[in-house]
Amino acid sequence: MNRVTDTYRRLHAATRRQPLLPVLLVLLLALSLAYHGFASVTNFRNIAVQASPLIIAAVGMTYVIMTAGIDLSVGSMLFLAAAIESSHPVAGLPTAAVFAVICATGVGMGLLNGLAVALTRVPALIVTLATMQVFRGAGGHITGQQNIDLPANLRGIGTGSLLGVPTPILLAAVVALGGGFVFSRSTFGRYVQAAGSSPDAAVDAGLPTRRVIAGAYALAGLLAAVASLTETARLGAVQPSIGQGYELTVITAVVLGGTSLFGGRGSIGGTVLGALILTTVQTGLVFSGTSPYVFDIVRGGVLLAAVLAAGARWQKTRAGSRPAGRLVPHGTDRPAA
Amino acid sequence: MEHHRKKPKGVIVRTSGVAWCVTVVAGASLALAACSSSANSGSAGGGSAAGKKYTIGVSFDLLNAIRQAEKTSIQNAAKAPGYSVVFDVADQDAQKQASQIQDLIATQKVNAVIVIAQDGQQIAASASLAKAHNVPFLAIDRSIADQQDVTFQITGDPVSDGKAVASQFLAAAKTTPLKVLELVGGLTDQNAIGRRDGFNAAMAGQPGVTIVSQVPTDWNPTEALDGTSNALQKDPTINAIYIPSDFLLPSVQSALTAAGRLAPVGDPKHVFMVTIDGDQNGCKAMQAKTLDADVATPVADFGKQAIAAITAALGGKAVTPKAVEAKGLILNQANYAATSGQVWGCASS
Repeated sequence: MNRVTDTYRRLHAATRRQPLLPVLLVLLLALSLAYHGFASVTNFRNIAVQASPLIIAAVGMTYVIMTAGIDLSVGSMLFLAAAIESSHPVAGLPTAAVFAVICATGVGMGLLNGLAVALTRVPALIVTLATMQVFRGAGGHITGQQNIDLPANLRGIGTGSLLGVPTPILLAAVVALGGGFVFSRSTFGRYVQAAGSSPDAAVDAGLPTRRVIAGAYALAGLLAAVASLTETARLGAVQPSIGQGYELTVITAVVLGGTSLFGGRGSIGGTVLGALILTTVQTGLVFSGTSPYVFDIVRGGVLLAAVLAAGARWQKTRAGSRPAGRLVPHGTDRPAA
Repeated sequence: MEHHRKKPKGVIVRTSGVAWCVTVVAGASLALAACSSSANSGSAGGGSAAGKKYTIGVSFDLLNAIRQAEKTSIQNAAKAPGYSVVFDVADQDAQKQASQIQDLIATQKVNAVIVIAQDGQQIAASASLAKAHNVPFLAIDRSIADQQDVTFQITGDPVSDGKAVASQFLAAAKTTPLKVLELVGGLTDQNAIGRRDGFNAAMAGQPGVTIVSQVPTDWNPTEALDGTSNALQKDPTINAIYIPSDFLLPSVQSALTAAGRLAPVGDPKHVFMVTIDGDQNGCKAMQAKTLDADVATPVADFGKQAIAAITAALGGKAVTPKAVEAKGLILNQANYAATSGQVWGCASS
């Protein structure tokens, strides 16, 4: 009896912490009952593989949104990283060196965003809207807007497996677990939450908010680059439209996962669940054989639901504990660090 | 704001720093733009039969493999009459395209404009502006809704191309019944809709073919990859795929490879595939015999006929016909050796 009660309590607590968990389970159950072939190991593995690049990029975006920022350039960073990966001097390097170059590129792009946001009074929305164009233009310049096949050694990260587990899933798991650990157990993670939750209090407490904000964007850049490595490896080629509109999907996953667009509240676990739900819905739509127009309606509906839920959470939080007027751009009313 | 009042000096220093940054970035951008525009301008003496120099302004919606080929076809066709070409790309932004065309007409004073419209409705305002300045206005590849101020238009015929694809499926279905996965491009794109509708109309009620799944891709390679994987998972008996553009072909090939289904013609595992465009991806796959047919867009005709229409218009002659729909050329495994030379993507593959 006690064991049953304990299990119930744990489940209840888990559901309270991650309200999306039962949503995902119900969705999987419903689709499994509705469509023959959905409930198979191969299909679940397919969903996990497809969700992996999204999870990786969305973990980075979670950090950015936690600081009350936003990064619209994530899709363009993905493309520029892919373009550099396929360029002649880089593609010819040993595999490990290519990955190192792309990761460094990601950090550089993210740092550019982060420093611009942290050191100026320009809202992140505007900064990253500008860099979105810069990165996509640079990627187009490098590729000449042509499709470029990826050498076989660079495809393993998207198509290989280790002990039967596809590499993208392993990579996404490492990023999610690492991201969750840093988020909840490290000083940087706590600073990120503090900087987004109450920027003025964070500054008053002497936290290095500018470095924290720059660090969050740099991390998002790094993870966008890792997502790029995974995605292009899966595609087997770099194409000019890679990452176009990807920012919307990534932000939807993060917001759906419960991270507040106004900063300070959220979780990596929620983001992972958000990404898995989006991918499951997409797969379910193909299994349903519905009209192609319904795809857009459902995807738009999920985004609308996520935004409305985020708005409701914000209203609740504001009514509960926070003063009005938190909607300030980075850098406003903060002394120099 | 309070901070501004307390430390005005710091603010001034920071503001001037930002101003310097903006200046440096703007300067670098202008230098880059200057390099790009000189690289993008094709000049062949800038002359004409009458001895007057003519410049053609070109505004594309975007730049990808087929647009590169279209750009080359315009530049090549402009060489004979000696026209200069000024080239702009609107990055899929209809507003930006309108500004670029205004700049071409009002500031750069080009003698004619060729566009690939990002938005077939909005571009009508640019056509009216050109007419007001007495500048011939031509559209290629994508049609313009209001033809009133358009001097000449040459486009592909997406419905006819879709029907041509269907003819390949129907021919193959005579020997093997086909269960078809139909990928669809952007649902707001007239070419994608035309290619879909032409295909569906020709396939409707035909024996031996069943469309088992329709998956939208929004012209996005990742969605094409995931959509194909999901459809193959849903129905492993799918043995034919309609790909509405060659540029989605690598995604489909990756999905087939992952499913162990990418095999050449004649292999029992082979999936029958037909695409449209005729780019390098298509030609490579035709050579590898993993692709059965490709309906190639007659890109070279676009440039030739547009420049011919400009020459007529600038010479004061009537341009007839005002609109041309160029049908695609069917390239398949049977005619590959004889026909591939006429396909724009095969020349460079």
